[in-house]
Formats: sequence, structure tokens, C-alpha cells
Amino acid sequence: MKKLTLKDSEYEIKKGKILRVRKMTAIETFFEIALPGGESLDHEPGQFVEVSLFGVGEAPISVTSSPTKRGSFELAVRNVGKVTGALHKLKEGDEVGIRGPFGKGFPVRIFEGNDLLCVAGGLGIVPLRSLINYVIDNRRDFGKVEILLGCKTPKDMLFNEEVDEWNKRLDVKLNCTVDKADPDWKGNVGLITSLIPGINLKPERTFAVVVGPPIMYKFVIKELLKKEIPERHILVSLERHMKCGLGKCGHCQINNFYCCQDGPVFSYDKIKNIPEAL
Amino acid sequence: MSKPKVAFFDFACCEGCQLQVANMGESLLDVLGAIDVVEFREVMSEKWDQDFDVAIVEGSITTPHAIEKIKKIRERCKVLIAYGSCATIGGVNGMKNNFPLDKIREEVYGKDYKYFETVETRAVPQVVKVDYLVHGCPVYIPEFVNVLKAVLAGLPYQVPDHAVCVECKLNENVCVYEKGVTCLGPVTKAGCNSWCINNGNICYGCRGMVTNPNENGAKDVIEKYNVPMNLVRNKMNMYNQCREIDQSEQKKR
Amino acid sequence: MQYAVLKKEYLNEFITRLAQDQKVIAPVAKGYNQFAFEEVKSGEKVALDHIPTILPPKKYFMPQYETLATYHANSSQKMNPVVECEDLILFGVHTCDLAGIQCLNMVFSERPKDINYLIRKSKITIIGYGCNDYCDEYASCRLVHSHTPNGGYDLFFINLGDKFFVHINTLAGDEITEKTNLFEPATPADLNALAKIREKKREIFANEVPVVHERMPEMFSKSYDSNVWEDLGKRCLACGNCTNVCPTCYCFDVTDEPNLDLQTGKRFRRWDSCQNEAFAKVAGGESFRKERSARQRHRYFRKFKYPMEKFSRLFCTGCGRCSRTCMAKINLKETLNQLVEEQGMKNLKAGRETE
Repeated sequence: MKKLTLKDSEYEIKKGKILRVRKMTAIETFFEIALPGGESLDHEPGQFVEVSLFGVGEAPISVTSSPTKRGSFELAVRNVGKVTGALHKLKEGDEVGIRGPFGKGFPVRIFEGNDLLCVAGGLGIVPLRSLINYVIDNRRDFGKVEILLGCKTPKDMLFNEEVDEWNKRLDVKLNCTVDKADPDWKGNVGLITSLIPGINLKPERTFAVVVGPPIMYKFVIKELLKKEIPERHILVSLERHMKCGLGKCGHCQINNFYCCQDGPVFSYDKIKNIPEAL
Repeated sequence: MSKPKVAFFDFACCEGCQLQVANMGESLLDVLGAIDVVEFREVMSEKWDQDFDVAIVEGSITTPHAIEKIKKIRERCKVLIAYGSCATIGGVNGMKNNFPLDKIREEVYGKDYKYFETVETRAVPQVVKVDYLVHGCPVYIPEFVNVLKAVLAGLPYQVPDHAVCVECKLNENVCVYEKGVTCLGPVTKAGCNSWCINNGNICYGCRGMVTNPNENGAKDVIEKYNVPMNLVRNKMNMYNQCREIDQSEQKKR
Repeated sequence: MQYAVLKKEYLNEFITRLAQDQKVIAPVAKGYNQFAFEEVKSGEKVALDHIPTILPPKKYFMPQYETLATYHANSSQKMNPVVECEDLILFGVHTCDLAGIQCLNMVFSERPKDINYLIRKSKITIIGYGCNDYCDEYASCRLVHSHTPNGGYDLFFINLGDKFFVHINTLAGDEITEKTNLFEPATPADLNALAKIREKKREIFANEVPVVHERMPEMFSKSYDSNVWEDLGKRCLACGNCTNVCPTCYCFDVTDEPNLDLQTGKRFRRWDSCQNEAFAKVAGGESFRKERSARQRHRYFRKFKYPMEKFSRLFCTGCGRCSRTCMAKINLKETLNQLVEEQGMKNLKAGRETE
């Protein structure tokens, strides 16, 4: 058996240098990563990368920074498995392997000139942040922007300072809710669905982008449809085990779709009749 | 990083799994290059009275004395590896649980049996917290080495949760059911690279059952290959009797 | 020369000559009516009229375990992507397995291409073999039109009794016939004999399931919520046999195997199965195909529906391996028959047209 070295393997990684590590919560950590020579990751908001640690493995992680941020990109990682657990032990200056970006992100070109409603539950803010910051950096290209954030308790809230910044802007409307408040919490209490009736956007020119835990989608979409937002204007980002990122290994398949290639962002009209999707 | 201090201990078992390490041949040198063995009754006479990093525990817990001893080992080590079927799932020692304890004691110790305390057989994870499992009767050395690497790297080791059949098919063995023999491969956890079947034997289920076995599905298998149900059940219980302890505790919850 | 014949008494010599400077792989009896593709040095052990081998020849195109890269992890991440390959001649590949290889070729040539697969494929020469009769009752090759060859080989052998009729399909095939120097040009009598065999084959091979081939994706669309899947779920042991032996299943897992120094090691892939418990689990623990019934349905849909949409081709080759190997007697023909009944799509004339 011959062993040939490959020049153009799809499994080849790029080295990513960790510029900054910041603990966000007990289980989530933020990483800023640069590719060699400051090469751009060249991603779209909503895409993901395969983060690799040799000896440990690879894991699909959403890019949380906007492509408008140059020279480096950012990940926010929850410690839930072998690879993410090992990532949490890394420090500034360490290197990780990066493949990607993969998949279809949010269709920002189609959003242009329209109003945007961003709905993020829990960890859903991680991919949505890439879109929100992209929109803010290109603010003149978009209409009204409304953001709804929800999580279990105030201490689970991610990107607090940035959320405050968004909130201070006059051209962004932001609403937060928690399932369970603590004494310092001044915002809403209740499920994220309770915030949707209060939005004030013209349905035919609004695109709603929804990212959250699997259980959330059905209920949020139901509320959005009540607001008469067209099905193809509702975008969701689905979580599956995207192992190879190349539409081959089969782990992320959702009926006839490969989440890693056809998704992770899907419009609701495309998946509403796909039983394994929601 | 200095080499982790590793100590081997054994409870009710045949010590055959430890023998697997002693007999592993050339790769033993690589393993010994990566760890510092401080206690290993089977191959060295030294005893270690200080703390150590990794405890490798063979055997099931079958007496009150053993319960105390395993709890002390747990306190002294950072990482505990249950090693071999007796330790990981109770193994053949579990057959004891089919009989009243007094009857068992009398059978073994005769009329003075009251002096010998005993408890029902338990696997090590049924008594103390266990960090890594190396299933098998005996352990499959390549898997043990993989677990050791995971320990050294501080990573979890996931025992495959699919059937031995998966690995057996990848090895392209002739299915032993085709030979008219019953095999527990379809319900037993993989990770052994179908070692027994590769060598002309059958799977005895020594690695424990997959977490979600289709217990009713056995019906079709039995029908297709015409094997008696009680034969399958006996085979199943040979290594897996201690499952009942987990099942009854689940029911209590 | 496009058509040739090889006398049967030369088969042994043919394999011996081939094996002199290349690895030759052929089906070999393993006892208990089981067969496997293995390396052979002569023709003695070759079993041509075998039931499909335990594993299909896909194992030479995408091996069970395959190193994708070696790495050196010390402080930085250094990777060396590799492909392990060798020149091979596969001899005695039945038409069902030729169809399977064609399916995999489509999958791995689709962008993003799988270089490892494509390089390995480029090094394999295929000598096909036609079945003149059914291998056993599990086969459904007529249903999916793979009982006759549809390309995908360099040479193709058909048993004419005392000799093999040989179709030379590629330059590589031509080179083999020249190099081994045992072939004679086919005569009109040979062509005649071939025509007779073909005619007989048309009588023998009848559509195994009374449904029109082209309507199968539609039948599956309608039966997504059928009770058939519930029933399969109750019986399935999730042992993964059906997918591992399938010539068109190609799902895999990618894992690292460090050496004891923890610095060096390899990244490899191995066959995985949608029937395995953890296959569709995400790191948080949620499984998106938790029920065995959903997993069995997924397997069927990946043969009869999804690939039709993507590659305009069924991914079942009718080889019958999944049914033959199933511990729980889950039988593909039986399942299809149930769906045909349930959806009222029974058509006894289906596939009876002469070809």
C-alpha cells in the first residue's frame, strides 16, 4: 500500500492562532482567532467552521463575528463535548486547526432594503451576532432592525456589553426576556414568543431570522406567521452534527438536505414540509 | 509534565486482565515510557502508601471489606479506571446475585459461613464514581492503550454505543449465526474490534449491552435462526446479571 | 478488438498472469455459503457464481478504516494529508456491484470532491461478471435494472458454458487482454450463443416487486408516515449490518488516533451507520433520529427517494445484501411489497416489457 501526500485535500486545515480568550459564563468561552498572515476567513454571517485539535478531533462551530471585522474572527463555544471541552483549556497564543467556512449563511443581499427581525434564544445569539454586527456596520443598506433576545436566567445572557451597545443605538430596537428573573433583572420575564406580538414591522417587507434551541422554532414561527410574515421571509439556522462539512459523511442529514451544505440557514418555506427539520 | 503515578488494584476477579498488561509484549515498553507504575501486585512487590494519579481497578465488589477498600482507593486517586468486565459491569461474578446470599456462603465456606461477610456483587461504578471504563473479559489491549492515551491527554473516552456486529462486519467475518451458533454481538457494546469472532469464537457479551437494546427484537432473531430463548437469556446473564441493580434503582427513581 | 472469448480452461492461467505484476482481487468462498473479495494469486479459489460477497467491493474504494492525514501537534497544528492506495484489479464484480460503484462515483465526484476516493478509484481496474441466473431469493436486481451491465467496467465476462464471452470496454481492458495473451476474437457463433443467454436471462429475471421502477420515489413520498416503519423499528436491532454491507452506503465518521507520545498521530475515517444509536446526536446530547423506526425509514429513503432527487438514480442495486444479513429478518422486497400494497401502486405488468 502506497501512502501519497495530498496537495489539495478537503481535510487540510489552516492554522488559527488564538489572539484572545474570554470566559463568558460558567460554560461558554469566547475566542478571537487569526489565520496566518491575517488572511481573511471570508465567511458570510451564519456560516460555520470546523475547529480542529489534533488528537482530540473536529467540531462544527458557528462564527460569531461579522465578516466586516477584518484580520481575525470570533467564536463563542459552549463546553458540551470532547472537542469543545479541550478548547476550553486553551489560552492565548495556542493554535487550533480551522476548516471552512462551510454552509449557506443568512442571505444578507436579499435582506437589503428590508426590515429585519432577529430572534435569538439561548446560544442562538452566537450565529445571529455575526448578522447583527454585519447589519450595524452596513446600517444604511437595511430598513428597521428589531432584536429579540431570550435566555433562561440573566446570568446566562451572552455578549452583555455588546447587547447594551446595540440597545443604546437609536436605529436598533432591542428587547430581552428571561425565563426566570433574579432580583436585579429589570427586563421582561417569560418565553421569547411573548415578545413577538409587540413588534411593529410591516410583514411584507420584514425578514425574520430565528436561531435557538430546537424546541423554540415551532413556537416562534407560529407567532411570526400570526404576524403575517411570509414563509419565505422566515429564516432559521439548524443545529446538527456536521462532521465533515462536505456533504458526505451523513451525520447532519435532514431528510434530503445536508445541513452542512444546504444549510445551516434555511428559509421556512423550504423546510416546512421536511419532517426531520423542526 | 511528569509521568502520572499509576497503581493497579484487584477485587473479585481472576486477575487475567492485569495479566493482559503484563503480557502485552513490545508495546508494554511504550506504555511504561508514558506512566510510572507504583503498585502492581501481579508483577512487582513494592507497595505504595502515598497518593497517586491513576488507579486501575480490576474485579467486582463482593464484600463489605471491598466496599471500604474501593472507597479509600477513590479518595487517594485523581482518576479511576474500572478495568475488565468484573469491574465495569460485574461480569461473571454477577451470577452470585441469582442465589440467596446465605446459600452462596454456605456452599463456599461450609458450616462456619457466618464468619464470612458478603454482599451482592456490584460493578465498581455501582459503588464509586468511575472516570474511565475498559470493558472486556479480558480487556482488549488496543482499547486499553486508547483509554490510557485519553487519560494522559485529559480527554474523555467514549465506549462505542453500537453493536459488536458493526466491527464484525467491517472485519468481514462470516456471521456465526450462519454457522448455527448463537452470538451476543447484536446487543453487545463494540470497542473490541470483534476480537473473539475474528478468532473463531462467538461474542459472550462481556462488554455489556448497548444502552438501548431492542429487547423485543430478539424474537425475530430467535425465529430466523431457530435458537431457544432460554439459551439466549442464559448467555445474556453470564456477564450482565449486575444490570439488574441499575434497573431496579432506576425503577426506584 | 471489442469482443473476445476466453476458454474456461485458461481462467486459472489468466488470473496467474494478471497476478504476476499486480494485485488481483476476486470473490472467494468462506464456507457456509458466504463469500468475500480477497487477494488471489491464481484462479483456483475464485468463486464466480457466488451470492453477493459479505462486503461489497466498495471496501477497495473507501476502506473501512482510512487514514486522511498524519499530524504533529506539538504547540502548533501541523498536518500532512495523505491517501493510501494501490493498483488493483477487481475480478468477478457482479452487475449489482458495478451499479454500486457507479453510485459511489457520483457521490464522491460531486463537489466538494473527495480526492481520496477519486485517487483510489483511478488505480482500480474492474472486470465485471454477468449472472445468468438469480443468486438467491433475496436479490431484486431486475426491479432496479442492475441485472444487466450498464457500463462501469474495463472488461466484462459472460459465462457461455465452455468459455467466457468478453466485452472489452476500455483501454485498460484492452491492455489486459493483450498482456495476458489468452484471448481469441469472438466469432459469429459466440455472438449467437451470447444472444441466446440474453434471451434466457429475460425469461429468468422478472420484476421482483410489482411496481413501476420510475414510480418508486413517489411511492416513498406518500409513505413517510406509514406503519411499515413502526413495524421495522420494533424488529430492528440497530446492529448496523444492513448499511455496512450496502454497496451504496457511504456514511463515515472522522476520528483522531494519537500515538502514546500524544504529539503525533493520525486522523482517520471509518464507516459509520445511520442505524447506530449515536449517529445523529449533537454534542449537547440531543439525537435527531432517536427512534429505530425513523432510522430504518432513513435508510430506505436514502436508497429510493433522496438520491433520485440529487443524482436522478436509485441507490438500491438489488443485491439483496441488507436482507440476507439482517438479524431480524427485515427484508427489502417484503418492505417494498408492503408499501406497494399500502399505496395501491401494484402493477403486475411493471417491468414485463421486453428489452
